[in-house]
Amino acid sequence: MDSKRTSEVLSVPTPQPPESAAEVPLEIHDLTVSYHKKPVLWGIDVVVPPGKLIGIVGPNGAGKSTLIKAAMGMLPVSSGWVKAFGKPVKESLTRIGYVPQRESVDWDFPVSVMDVVMMGRYGHLGLLRRPSRHDRQVVLECLDKVKMLPYANRQISNLSGGQQQRVFLARALAQESDLYFMDEPFAGVDAATEAAIVTLLHNLRDKGKTILVVHHDLPSARQYFDMLLLLNMRVVAFGETKTVFNYDLLQATYGGRLTILSEVADAVHARESGNGR
Amino acid sequence: MTQLIPAFDFHQVIVAPWSQDAAGTFPIVLMGFLVGAACGLVGTFLILRRMALVGDAISHSVLPGIAIAFLLTNSRGTLPMFIGALAAGIVTTLLIEIIHRKTRVKQDAAIGIAFTSLFAVGVILISLYASKIDLDQECVLYGEIGFIGLEEGITLGGINFSPQLIRMASVTLVVAALILIFYKELLVSSFDPALAFSVGINASVVHYSLMCVLSAVVVSAFESVGAILVIAMLILPGATGSLLSQRLPRVMGLAVLHAAMSSVMGLHLATWLDCSIAASMVVMGAFLFAFAWIFSPSQGIIQRFIRSKPKLDEPPADLPAAEKSAVG
Amino acid sequence: MNRPFKFSLLIPVLLASATNAHAARIGELTDSSIVEQALRFFTFQDPTVRFALAGTILLGITCGLLGSFIVVRKMALVGDALSHAVLPGVAFGFLWNMSKDPVAIFIGATVAGLLGAAAVHLIRHTTRLKEDTALGLVLATFFAVGVCMLTMIQRLPTGNKSGIDKFLFGQAAAIGAGDLKLMAVITVLAILAVMLFYKEFLVTSFDSDFARSCGFATHVIHYGLMLLVAFAVVIALQAVGVVLVSSMLITPAAAAYLLTDRMHWMLFLSAIFGMLAGAFGAFFSFLGPGLPTGPFIVLGATTVFSIAFFLGPKHGVITRWFKQRSRSNRIQRENTLKSIYHVLENRSFVGESVSLRELAERRRETLEDARIQSKALARHGLATLHEDGNQIFLTPGGWQLACSIVRNHRLWELYLTNAADFAADHVHDDAEKIEHVLGDEVVRAIERRLKYANRDPHGKPIPSLEDVQRGAAPRARREDSVGYGSSI
Repeated sequence: MDSKRTSEVLSVPTPQPPESAAEVPLEIHDLTVSYHKKPVLWGIDVVVPPGKLIGIVGPNGAGKSTLIKAAMGMLPVSSGWVKAFGKPVKESLTRIGYVPQRESVDWDFPVSVMDVVMMGRYGHLGLLRRPSRHDRQVVLECLDKVKMLPYANRQISNLSGGQQQRVFLARALAQESDLYFMDEPFAGVDAATEAAIVTLLHNLRDKGKTILVVHHDLPSARQYFDMLLLLNMRVVAFGETKTVFNYDLLQATYGGRLTILSEVADAVHARESGNGR
Repeated sequence: MTQLIPAFDFHQVIVAPWSQDAAGTFPIVLMGFLVGAACGLVGTFLILRRMALVGDAISHSVLPGIAIAFLLTNSRGTLPMFIGALAAGIVTTLLIEIIHRKTRVKQDAAIGIAFTSLFAVGVILISLYASKIDLDQECVLYGEIGFIGLEEGITLGGINFSPQLIRMASVTLVVAALILIFYKELLVSSFDPALAFSVGINASVVHYSLMCVLSAVVVSAFESVGAILVIAMLILPGATGSLLSQRLPRVMGLAVLHAAMSSVMGLHLATWLDCSIAASMVVMGAFLFAFAWIFSPSQGIIQRFIRSKPKLDEPPADLPAAEKSAVG
Repeated sequence: MNRPFKFSLLIPVLLASATNAHAARIGELTDSSIVEQALRFFTFQDPTVRFALAGTILLGITCGLLGSFIVVRKMALVGDALSHAVLPGVAFGFLWNMSKDPVAIFIGATVAGLLGAAAVHLIRHTTRLKEDTALGLVLATFFAVGVCMLTMIQRLPTGNKSGIDKFLFGQAAAIGAGDLKLMAVITVLAILAVMLFYKEFLVTSFDSDFARSCGFATHVIHYGLMLLVAFAVVIALQAVGVVLVSSMLITPAAAAYLLTDRMHWMLFLSAIFGMLAGAFGAFFSFLGPGLPTGPFIVLGATTVFSIAFFLGPKHGVITRWFKQRSRSNRIQRENTLKSIYHVLENRSFVGESVSLRELAERRRETLEDARIQSKALARHGLATLHEDGNQIFLTPGGWQLACSIVRNHRLWELYLTNAADFAADHVHDDAEKIEHVLGDEVVRAIERRLKYANRDPHGKPIPSLEDVQRGAAPRARREDSVGYGSSI
């Protein structure tokens, strides 16, 4: 049984380049990143197929955030390269959207919700250009999509955690990108927002966008994502959720730390054997 | 330019101060050392607690305390000066807290607002009552360490120990004693306030006591090095020490050594260039820091350069096992 | 965001052209009295005054604008370090041709400031020392080098009278035509940079990770800003002095930060506050001989900050205190009205007034307290007092408020018992609190949910919306007319 499952995983087909889009949204080759001489990511090799919602899962300190930052060329890398849409990532940044962690900014900053979402348009504007009426229109639409339109003129410190996360999502939507990186968009949000975000992500995916989401909650990861990337300094597994989400690979990813998660893992294990999968 | 930088005359610069004018030189060097040592010991903890710039703030804001003490008592007595400086130090700490807590202004801006305002009040008081306050604006900035030894005090072995010198020596001794006695409390509350709380150390008492000691040290150093160079005296010794060692007692020992060396070297630099002695001591202190920065065996730039590239040919030992082929 | 900027761009141009007069140095005015000096200042006839004022206003604008970004980027102490670090540059600039040549000093100081910033960066990235230590270190070391050089210069025969020591605490009266031109150029440069690169500065300040993901060169923008700040510090040196320049960067911007929630308004307000502080300092240092300008400018800025701190409409400490007090007073009044309503209701609304004694008994308080409360009602036009204040009549406004409070209370009680299954004797305390804050729409929605029920869980009638609007004692309902005589 075990060996069979492993072989299934091993035989996960490398995603074929789609005929229509004809371009791979993200290709990471042999990426190694180190902080203070200690490697944080090691030999990452990933080819991401288009139109997928992908969860990046792994224990704390596994380098999840580092991976997406390095993939966008925001960190110095020790080796390897990253291509997005067939070009070096620095050249396709306008086609990449990003949702950083909510705690990474100062929410006392004197800007309104509208101002923040407008920042999503800045990447398209270029030097010295100011937002046009079209940009404003896009921003309002994006705010509407996350149901934050009534708050457009609010100062951002007067928002709840879930609302702040919606603003960040609206900003990413305003980027009108084809590839999205999201760093823990579900951290500290209410259940309603979480559901709304999932719907939004699925809609985006259905439009053919590729979305990589750093996520730390295993049970929900199984439900939310089409594909999972199990990460612990290196890629432990990358494939369809139903094939990758199994006891052995989770054990390999979380290592000794799986004791904390053993209940989850046991439940998964039991369900899987119960289903005869 | 030759007018500006005199020729380096070895005898004149290095030998003469000690052979011909030892009675004048020794108190200055001793004072520089005492100020550097007291400030360095306190400063080591400031650096540890990431409060170096609170030190900056307090060293500026003791000025109005001193000026008001002058105006009220009309004397240059030790006690009023200390009380004034302590009050000013505590007012600064409180002001920073209040601005930071009550509004959304962040701590860095709160520090900037508090100390510039108090310093401005001090400078205005001094310039308004210039005739009553025996301080001029320049003395405020870089002190008058050269005149420290002039006042009559106790004469020992042909050297005049002026009251200021004796006062500074006692402050340094008291600071050293306090640190020795409360070493454990300071250490714990600096590293881990939560742990300190759990073992019954009141972190805010430690904080405010440290601020009081800081004010006392700053005010006693004030006359000799002024309000701004004090910051250098506070930070340089500890920073140099922590470049060379990671253990706190050793860092403090190195800080004291740094104080002694920069004091002696500073005197010679000032003799050569004929400029402010206190500033020269700081410049030499900075030189020592740069020296440690470049040559430190554990974290120096050279060492860093030698070991710059990590060996990344082999995967790290704690890498989780994974089948490479499983990777998409 | 455009309007404030365009407006502020005009100011330096106007000032620079208006003060293009001949320079004259201060010095001969030392004997005049304070009043005379003040008059001299406000007639603007003295070119020194015009130069000093124009200079301080220009530097106020520049520092205010750039300081806003410094404050929101939490780099306040970087500004402080930078301002001390320029001192050796000033000395070098002076040595260049042994005179106070504005351009030479400007170049020297800017280079020194940038060297200081680079040193901080290097120390932070190659040692374990934290940022605050690195800042303090660079600040004091550069300052010490500067002091060494200044004392060496003053020893020179030419250096003694150069007035270079004025750079420590600032003397606006020493601003010359050359200085002023430089200030105008820098001010225009700063305003243009902020206008043209507003979105770059904004996005990198708010969320630098996101900015980088959009392809903005955050390091270039950061160092560009540092360069502008160095410029601002250098032009402010002459008037404010090395030691206190950082205040001009921090304090006006922090005051603006307390007053507004929008970056562009913060920039505008901060520039205005900087101007005010500059003018304040120029004026006061003009009043007496030998008074330095810098500390007075700082005091001006601190005054503005204190006003914002205490009286700011949103975040002001006193404002918030007053709001809190007026809220608790309002609740107090509403509770009194409710008690009067209850007294009258118990009498089936027979008679229109309530005696002070009845009110005191109902509220279980002393007569004196009841009198204070009834007077508060009268002051707010909710009641009129008769017979030496012993009889309280509600005005139509008072009736409206009383009915709506009772209505809120009883509807909420009913809502809790019906919709949330609370026991009828557990709902009173909660309703006591919420009755003061329920909005009209919520109340109407609750009423709809409860299908316009007209009795609370304890069987008391709930005043209807009509009752509230009529501004008189509620009419008895048709279907339960028993026992509720109309008072009209």
